[in-house]
Amino acid sequence: MKVSVERIGPEREEEVVLRCRDPEAAWVGRVREAASGSRRISAWKDGSLHPLQLSEIYYFEVVDDASFLYTQREVFGCREKLYEFERVAAGSALFRCSKSMILNADKIDYIRPSLSGRFEAVLSNGEKVVVSRKYVAELKRLLGV
Amino acid sequence: MICTFLMCLCFNPASTLPVVSYFGRILVFTAISLLTMAVYCSREELTAKAWWIRTALHLILLEAALLPLAHAWGFWHSGPDVWIYAAFILLAKCMWHLVDYGINAKTASQINEKIRENRLRQR
Repeated sequence: MKVSVERIGPEREEEVVLRCRDPEAAWVGRVREAASGSRRISAWKDGSLHPLQLSEIYYFEVVDDASFLYTQREVFGCREKLYEFERVAAGSALFRCSKSMILNADKIDYIRPSLSGRFEAVLSNGEKVVVSRKYVAELKRLLGV
Repeated sequence: MICTFLMCLCFNPASTLPVVSYFGRILVFTAISLLTMAVYCSREELTAKAWWIRTALHLILLEAALLPLAHAWGFWHSGPDVWIYAAFILLAKCMWHLVDYGINAKTASQINEKIRENRLRQR
């Protein structure tokens, strides 16, 4: 496998481009995890700061103009707005799943349809979140469907 | 609309279908039906309860919009006819939701299959 590294100036955004025959190969997942999972975001709980890795986050939700980050068992406050967090999470397994939520596709156990034309995603910690039809295409793209 | 013609055919086998005007009316019915979908528009994600309320409202709106038009075009005339026509509108709405659910079930199945595959690969 050929490995190329290109030095860029500060004006350009750092990125990792993978050329592979199988987007679902294990090594692709590990590189993706390393490139995006190592990104951290500041989260707040009980007045103290907790830097969270993106890979720890189950979902990000905005409720009444307040942002929250949910991990497996805990809830943290977050100062980022939805579009700001979306920008931070670009390129990771986190995708916008509804008007007020960004979900980690790697934490989904399975999804099921509902009569309301949307989907219910059951996460690995047992929680259930709604995925709008509009954003299902992005989930399919992330999973390689 | 097609069912209306088939219903007429049952009672009057000599009925003919004026294709151009009939399908033109189908287009108008479709356009009005699509406009009534605006009842589902919302700034925030609808909860399940809100969705059911809006679905009931949508049905009322659909009946209120389509029944008078159908009457003006002579698709129904008297008391019993209106209930039959209203039932067809309700049936069409139910069918639409069922087909939609079926498509979503297929999508969910594809996604779940992929999630299972990815999990097996990671082991």
